[in-house]
Amino acid sequence: MKEQWRLLKTNFSTAFTNMAIDRAVLVTNSKGRVLPTVRFYGWEPPAISIGYFQSLEEEVDLDNCRKLGVDYVRRITGGGAVFHEEELTYSIVIPENHPQIPENILKSYGRICGAVMKGLDNLGIESKYIPINDIITGGKKISGNAQTRKSKTVLQHGTVLTDVDVDKMFSVLKVPNEKIKDKLIADVKQRVTSIKHVLGKEIRFGDVAKAMKIGFEQEFDVELVEEPLSEEEKELTRKFEKECFSARDWNHKR
Amino acid sequence: MQSKSIYKVPNGKLLKISLDYDEKHNSINKVKIMGDFFAYPEESIESMETELKSTILEKESLIKKINSIIKEYDIEFIGLHAEGLTEGILMCKK
Repeated sequence: MKEQWRLLKTNFSTAFTNMAIDRAVLVTNSKGRVLPTVRFYGWEPPAISIGYFQSLEEEVDLDNCRKLGVDYVRRITGGGAVFHEEELTYSIVIPENHPQIPENILKSYGRICGAVMKGLDNLGIESKYIPINDIITGGKKISGNAQTRKSKTVLQHGTVLTDVDVDKMFSVLKVPNEKIKDKLIADVKQRVTSIKHVLGKEIRFGDVAKAMKIGFEQEFDVELVEEPLSEEEKELTRKFEKECFSARDWNHKR
Repeated sequence: MQSKSIYKVPNGKLLKISLDYDEKHNSINKVKIMGDFFAYPEESIESMETELKSTILEKESLIKKINSIIKEYDIEFIGLHAEGLTEGILMCKK
Protein backbone atom coordinates (compact mmCIF):
# COMPACT_ATOMS: atom_id res chain seq x y z
CA MET A 1 0.00 0.00 0.00
CA LYS A 2 1.22 3.46 -0.83
CA GLU A 3 2.23 5.94 1.85
CA GLN A 4 -0.59 8.37 2.57
CA TRP A 5 -0.14 12.12 2.86
CA ARG A 6 -2.81 14.68 3.64
CA LEU A 7 -4.40 16.73 0.89
CA LEU A 8 -5.62 20.07 2.16
CA LYS A 9 -7.97 22.07 -0.02
CA THR A 10 -8.57 25.46 1.54
CA ASN A 11 -9.78 27.22 -1.63
CA PHE A 12 -9.69 31.03 -1.59
CA SER A 13 -8.62 33.05 1.45
CA THR A 14 -6.98 36.35 2.28
CA ALA A 15 -3.20 36.70 2.10
CA PHE A 16 -3.03 36.76 5.90
CA THR A 17 -5.03 33.55 6.34
CA ASN A 18 -3.12 31.83 3.54
CA MET A 19 0.28 32.52 5.05
CA ALA A 20 -0.99 31.69 8.55
CA ILE A 21 -2.28 28.28 7.43
CA ASP A 22 1.07 27.37 5.85
CA ARG A 23 2.85 28.32 9.06
CA ALA A 24 0.31 26.47 11.24
CA VAL A 25 0.81 23.27 9.25
CA LEU A 26 4.58 23.72 9.53
CA VAL A 27 4.20 23.79 13.32
CA THR A 28 1.83 20.81 13.65
CA ASN A 29 3.83 18.68 11.21
CA SER A 30 7.10 19.49 13.01
CA LYS A 31 5.46 18.20 16.21
CA GLY A 32 4.48 15.00 14.43
CA ARG A 33 0.76 15.68 14.86
CA VAL A 34 -0.24 15.67 11.18
CA LEU A 35 0.85 13.77 8.09
CA PRO A 36 3.05 15.35 5.43
CA THR A 37 0.67 17.77 3.75
CA VAL A 38 0.11 19.06 0.24
CA ARG A 39 -2.19 22.07 0.12
CA PHE A 40 -3.82 23.90 -2.81
CA TYR A 41 -5.21 27.39 -2.44
CA GLY A 42 -6.04 30.72 -4.03
CA TRP A 43 -6.10 34.39 -3.02
CA GLU A 44 -9.18 36.54 -2.42
CA PRO A 45 -8.80 39.47 -2.59
CA PRO A 46 -5.74 39.49 -4.87
CA ALA A 47 -2.55 40.17 -2.95
CA ILE A 48 1.17 40.73 -3.14
CA SER A 49 3.45 38.54 -1.09
CA ILE A 50 7.01 39.70 -0.56
CA GLY A 51 10.01 37.59 0.40
CA TYR A 52 11.19 37.60 4.01
CA PHE A 53 14.26 39.72 3.19
CA GLN A 54 12.57 42.33 1.03
CA SER A 55 11.66 45.87 1.98
CA LEU A 56 7.88 46.29 1.82
CA GLU A 57 7.97 49.93 0.85
CA GLU A 58 10.65 49.43 -1.78
CA GLU A 59 8.80 46.58 -3.47
CA VAL A 60 5.13 47.49 -3.11
CA ASP A 61 3.12 50.55 -4.13
CA LEU A 62 0.99 50.68 -0.99
CA ASP A 63 -1.25 53.52 -2.22
CA ASN A 64 -2.16 51.68 -5.40
CA CYS A 65 -2.78 48.51 -3.40
CA ARG A 66 -5.33 50.36 -1.29
CA LYS A 67 -6.96 51.90 -4.36
CA LEU A 68 -7.21 48.56 -6.18
CA GLY A 69 -8.14 46.48 -3.13
CA VAL A 70 -4.94 44.43 -3.25
CA ASP A 71 -3.64 43.08 0.09
CA TYR A 72 0.04 42.66 0.89
CA VAL A 73 1.88 40.30 3.20
CA ARG A 74 5.45 39.39 4.12
CA ARG A 75 6.18 35.66 3.76
CA ILE A 76 8.30 33.57 6.13
CA THR A 77 10.14 32.33 3.03
CA GLY A 78 12.78 34.24 1.07
CA GLY A 79 12.54 35.00 -2.63
CA GLY A 80 10.84 37.79 -4.53
CA ALA A 81 7.63 39.77 -4.60
CA VAL A 82 4.69 37.98 -6.23
CA PHE A 83 1.35 39.37 -7.36
CA HIS A 84 -1.22 36.66 -6.64
CA GLU A 85 -4.41 36.86 -8.62
CA GLU A 86 -5.11 34.27 -11.29
CA GLU A 87 -3.15 31.32 -10.01
CA LEU A 88 -3.15 28.09 -8.10
CA THR A 89 -0.82 28.16 -5.12
CA TYR A 90 0.50 24.95 -3.58
CA SER A 91 2.35 24.28 -0.39
CA ILE A 92 4.02 21.16 0.88
CA VAL A 93 5.03 20.56 4.50
CA ILE A 94 7.15 17.50 5.28
CA PRO A 95 9.88 16.49 7.75
CA GLU A 96 13.30 17.27 6.30
CA ASN A 97 14.50 13.74 7.05
CA HIS A 98 11.68 12.16 5.00
CA PRO A 99 13.30 9.75 2.52
CA GLN A 100 11.61 11.57 -0.40
CA ILE A 101 13.21 14.91 0.50
CA PRO A 102 16.85 15.58 -0.42
CA GLU A 103 18.87 16.92 2.50
CA ASN A 104 20.45 19.52 0.24
CA ILE A 105 18.15 22.54 0.06
CA LEU A 106 18.71 23.32 -3.62
CA LYS A 107 18.16 19.66 -4.56
CA SER A 108 14.93 19.62 -2.58
CA TYR A 109 13.68 22.65 -4.54
CA GLY A 110 14.24 20.65 -7.71
CA ARG A 111 12.49 17.59 -6.32
CA ILE A 112 9.37 19.48 -5.19
CA CYS A 113 9.31 21.46 -8.44
CA GLY A 114 9.33 18.03 -10.12
CA ALA A 115 5.84 17.45 -8.68
CA VAL A 116 4.61 20.78 -10.09
CA MET A 117 6.12 19.88 -13.48
CA LYS A 118 4.32 16.52 -13.47
CA GLY A 119 1.13 18.41 -12.65
CA LEU A 120 1.69 20.72 -15.62
CA ASP A 121 2.44 17.68 -17.76
CA ASN A 122 -0.98 16.28 -16.77
CA LEU A 123 -2.47 19.44 -18.31
CA GLY A 124 -0.45 18.89 -21.49
CA ILE A 125 2.24 21.45 -20.67
CA GLU A 126 5.89 20.48 -20.89
CA SER A 127 8.09 22.41 -18.50
CA LYS A 128 11.57 22.65 -17.13
CA TYR A 129 13.04 23.47 -13.72
CA ILE A 130 15.47 26.39 -13.71
CA PRO A 131 17.46 26.67 -10.48
CA ILE A 132 17.09 28.27 -8.05
CA ASN A 133 13.32 28.44 -7.90
CA ASP A 134 11.62 28.81 -11.28
CA ILE A 135 9.69 26.54 -13.62
CA ILE A 136 9.51 27.59 -17.25
CA THR A 137 7.61 26.49 -20.32
CA GLY A 138 8.57 27.54 -23.84
CA GLY A 139 11.30 29.68 -22.28
CA LYS A 140 8.83 31.63 -20.11
CA LYS A 141 8.22 31.47 -16.39
CA ILE A 142 5.00 29.78 -15.29
CA SER A 143 5.81 29.02 -11.66
CA GLY A 144 7.88 30.54 -8.85
CA ASN A 145 8.71 28.71 -5.62
CA ALA A 146 10.13 29.44 -2.18
CA GLN A 147 11.21 27.19 0.67
CA THR A 148 11.96 27.53 4.36
CA ARG A 149 13.06 24.97 6.90
CA LYS A 150 12.14 25.32 10.55
CA SER A 151 12.21 22.78 13.40
CA LYS A 152 13.61 20.15 10.99
CA THR A 153 10.57 20.58 8.74
CA VAL A 154 10.37 21.77 5.13
CA LEU A 155 7.74 24.23 3.92
CA GLN A 156 7.81 25.01 0.23
CA HIS A 157 5.10 27.05 -1.43
CA GLY A 158 4.79 28.22 -4.98
CA THR A 159 2.56 29.57 -7.67
CA VAL A 160 1.24 28.09 -10.88
CA LEU A 161 -0.01 30.93 -13.04
CA THR A 162 -3.39 30.30 -14.60
CA ASP A 163 -3.55 33.78 -16.15
CA VAL A 164 -1.45 36.91 -15.83
CA ASP A 165 -2.06 40.65 -16.11
CA VAL A 166 1.40 42.20 -16.23
CA ASP A 167 0.09 45.78 -16.41
CA LYS A 168 -1.94 45.32 -13.24
CA MET A 169 1.00 43.58 -11.61
CA PHE A 170 3.22 46.60 -12.22
CA SER A 171 0.59 49.00 -10.96
CA VAL A 172 1.04 47.48 -7.50
CA LEU A 173 4.71 46.48 -7.62
CA LYS A 174 7.44 49.10 -7.62
CA VAL A 175 10.35 49.01 -10.04
CA PRO A 176 13.90 50.09 -9.14
CA ASN A 177 14.01 52.62 -11.96
CA GLU A 178 10.84 54.45 -13.05
CA LYS A 179 12.53 55.64 -16.25
CA ILE A 180 12.77 52.12 -17.63
CA LYS A 181 9.40 50.95 -16.31
CA ASP A 182 7.84 50.60 -19.78
CA LYS A 183 10.73 48.52 -21.01
CA LEU A 184 10.62 46.40 -17.88
CA ILE A 185 6.91 45.71 -18.34
CA ALA A 186 7.55 44.77 -21.97
CA ASP A 187 10.36 42.44 -20.83
CA VAL A 188 8.23 40.74 -18.22
CA LYS A 189 5.43 40.22 -20.76
CA GLN A 190 8.02 38.37 -22.85
CA ARG A 191 9.30 36.34 -19.93
CA VAL A 192 6.12 35.28 -18.09
CA THR A 193 3.32 33.02 -19.25
CA SER A 194 0.31 31.16 -17.86
CA ILE A 195 -1.66 27.97 -18.34
CA LYS A 196 -4.38 29.92 -20.16
CA HIS A 197 -1.85 31.40 -22.55
CA VAL A 198 -0.08 28.11 -23.26
CA LEU A 199 -3.28 26.09 -23.75
CA GLY A 200 -5.16 28.89 -25.47
CA LYS A 201 -8.23 28.39 -23.29
CA GLU A 202 -9.59 29.16 -19.83
CA ILE A 203 -8.95 26.49 -17.24
CA ARG A 204 -10.78 26.06 -13.96
CA PHE A 205 -8.96 26.29 -10.63
CA GLY A 206 -10.35 22.87 -9.65
CA ASP A 207 -8.97 21.26 -12.79
CA VAL A 208 -5.51 22.65 -12.15
CA ALA A 209 -5.72 21.39 -8.55
CA LYS A 210 -6.69 17.90 -9.81
CA ALA A 211 -3.76 17.79 -12.22
CA MET A 212 -1.38 18.99 -9.50
CA LYS A 213 -2.69 16.44 -6.98
CA ILE A 214 -1.87 13.66 -9.42
CA GLY A 215 1.50 15.31 -10.14
CA PHE A 216 2.46 15.22 -6.46
CA GLU A 217 1.25 11.61 -6.14
CA GLN A 218 3.34 10.61 -9.15
CA GLU A 219 6.49 12.45 -8.10
CA PHE A 220 6.50 11.17 -4.51
CA ASP A 221 4.76 7.80 -5.10
CA VAL A 222 2.15 8.51 -2.43
CA GLU A 223 -1.62 8.72 -2.12
CA LEU A 224 -3.03 12.12 -1.18
CA VAL A 225 -6.07 11.77 1.07
CA GLU A 226 -8.25 14.82 1.58
CA GLU A 227 -8.61 15.91 5.21
CA PRO A 228 -9.44 19.24 6.81
CA LEU A 229 -7.27 21.37 9.08
CA SER A 230 -7.09 20.05 12.64
CA GLU A 231 -8.57 22.10 15.50
CA GLU A 232 -5.04 22.91 16.66
CA GLU A 233 -4.17 24.17 13.17
CA LYS A 234 -7.29 26.33 13.05
CA GLU A 235 -6.34 27.88 16.36
CA LEU A 236 -2.72 28.43 15.27
CA THR A 237 -3.97 29.96 12.02
CA ARG A 238 -6.02 32.55 13.92
CA LYS A 239 -3.07 33.27 16.19
CA PHE A 240 -0.51 33.69 13.38
CA GLU A 241 -2.93 35.73 11.31
CA LYS A 242 -3.53 38.17 14.12
CA GLU A 243 -0.08 38.32 15.71
CA CYS A 244 2.03 38.05 12.58
CA PHE A 245 0.73 38.21 9.03
CA SER A 246 -1.87 40.97 9.39
CA ALA A 247 0.31 42.93 11.82
CA ARG A 248 2.00 46.13 10.71
CA ASP A 249 5.16 45.25 12.69
CA TRP A 250 5.66 42.09 10.68
CA ASN A 251 4.82 43.44 7.24
CA HIS A 252 6.82 46.64 7.63
CA LYS A 253 9.73 45.11 9.49
CA ARG A 254 12.16 45.47 6.60
CA MET B 1 26.53 59.11 5.63
CA GLN B 2 23.63 57.16 4.17
CA SER B 3 23.66 55.32 0.89
CA LYS B 4 21.91 52.54 -1.04
CA SER B 5 22.93 50.05 -3.66
CA ILE B 6 21.25 47.53 -5.94
CA TYR B 7 23.50 44.71 -7.07
CA LYS B 8 22.66 41.67 -9.20
CA VAL B 9 24.76 38.89 -7.72
CA PRO B 10 26.39 36.92 -10.58
CA ASN B 11 24.38 33.67 -10.97
CA GLY B 12 22.36 34.85 -8.00
CA LYS B 13 19.63 37.18 -6.91
CA LEU B 14 19.06 40.93 -6.68
CA LEU B 15 20.68 42.32 -3.54
CA LYS B 16 19.61 45.68 -2.13
CA ILE B 17 21.73 47.28 0.56
CA SER B 18 20.92 50.27 2.68
CA LEU B 19 24.03 51.51 4.48
CA ASP B 20 24.70 54.10 7.13
CA TYR B 21 28.45 54.55 7.52
CA ASP B 22 31.05 56.56 9.38
CA GLU B 23 33.11 58.41 6.79
CA LYS B 24 35.90 59.31 9.17
CA HIS B 25 36.53 55.75 10.34
CA ASN B 26 35.38 54.12 7.08
CA SER B 27 33.19 51.75 9.09
CA ILE B 28 29.59 50.52 9.21
CA ASN B 29 27.11 52.21 11.53
CA LYS B 30 24.09 50.30 10.31
CA VAL B 31 23.39 48.01 7.37
CA LYS B 32 20.15 46.53 6.00
CA ILE B 33 20.51 43.49 3.74
CA MET B 34 17.47 43.15 1.49
CA GLY B 35 16.53 41.37 -1.71
CA ASP B 36 14.98 38.27 -3.25
CA PHE B 37 17.72 35.85 -2.17
CA PHE B 38 17.31 32.96 0.30
CA ALA B 39 19.08 32.51 3.63
CA TYR B 40 18.65 29.68 6.15
CA PRO B 41 17.67 30.22 8.89
CA GLU B 42 15.95 33.42 7.74
CA GLU B 43 16.25 35.19 11.08
CA SER B 44 20.04 34.95 10.86
CA ILE B 45 20.01 37.95 8.50
CA GLU B 46 19.20 40.15 11.47
CA SER B 47 22.20 38.71 13.33
CA MET B 48 24.33 39.35 10.25
CA GLU B 49 23.20 42.99 10.18
CA THR B 50 23.90 43.49 13.90
CA GLU B 51 27.28 41.76 13.79
CA LEU B 52 28.44 43.83 10.82
CA LYS B 53 28.28 47.05 12.86
CA SER B 54 31.71 48.74 13.13
CA THR B 55 33.23 46.54 10.40
CA ILE B 56 35.73 48.44 8.23
CA LEU B 57 34.43 49.15 4.71
CA GLU B 58 37.21 47.40 2.91
CA LYS B 59 36.99 44.21 0.85
CA GLU B 60 39.24 41.90 2.88
CA SER B 61 37.87 42.79 6.31
CA LEU B 62 34.26 42.58 5.08
CA ILE B 63 34.68 39.14 3.50
CA LYS B 64 36.49 37.87 6.58
CA LYS B 65 33.83 39.22 8.94
CA ILE B 66 30.91 37.97 6.81
CA ASN B 67 32.45 34.49 6.56
CA SER B 68 32.97 34.34 10.31
CA ILE B 69 29.32 35.34 10.90
CA ILE B 70 28.16 32.71 8.38
CA LYS B 71 30.15 30.11 10.33
CA GLU B 72 29.05 31.28 13.76
CA TYR B 73 25.33 31.36 12.92
CA ASP B 74 25.50 28.39 10.54
CA ILE B 75 23.93 30.40 7.71
CA GLU B 76 23.27 28.93 4.29
CA PHE B 77 22.76 31.44 1.49
CA ILE B 78 21.16 30.56 -1.84
CA GLY B 79 21.44 33.18 -4.57
CA LEU B 80 23.90 35.16 -2.45
CA HIS B 81 27.40 34.62 -1.01
CA ALA B 82 29.99 36.45 1.08
CA GLU B 83 31.68 38.01 -1.98
CA GLY B 84 28.36 39.23 -3.40
CA LEU B 85 27.32 40.72 -0.09
CA THR B 86 30.70 42.45 0.21
CA GLU B 87 30.38 43.87 -3.28
CA GLY B 88 26.84 45.13 -2.57
CA ILE B 89 27.95 46.86 0.63
CA LEU B 90 31.02 48.45 -1.00
CA MET B 91 28.90 49.68 -3.95
CA CYS B 92 27.16 51.99 -1.49
CA LYS B 93 30.42 53.95 -1.27
CA LYS B 94 30.88 54.40 -5.02
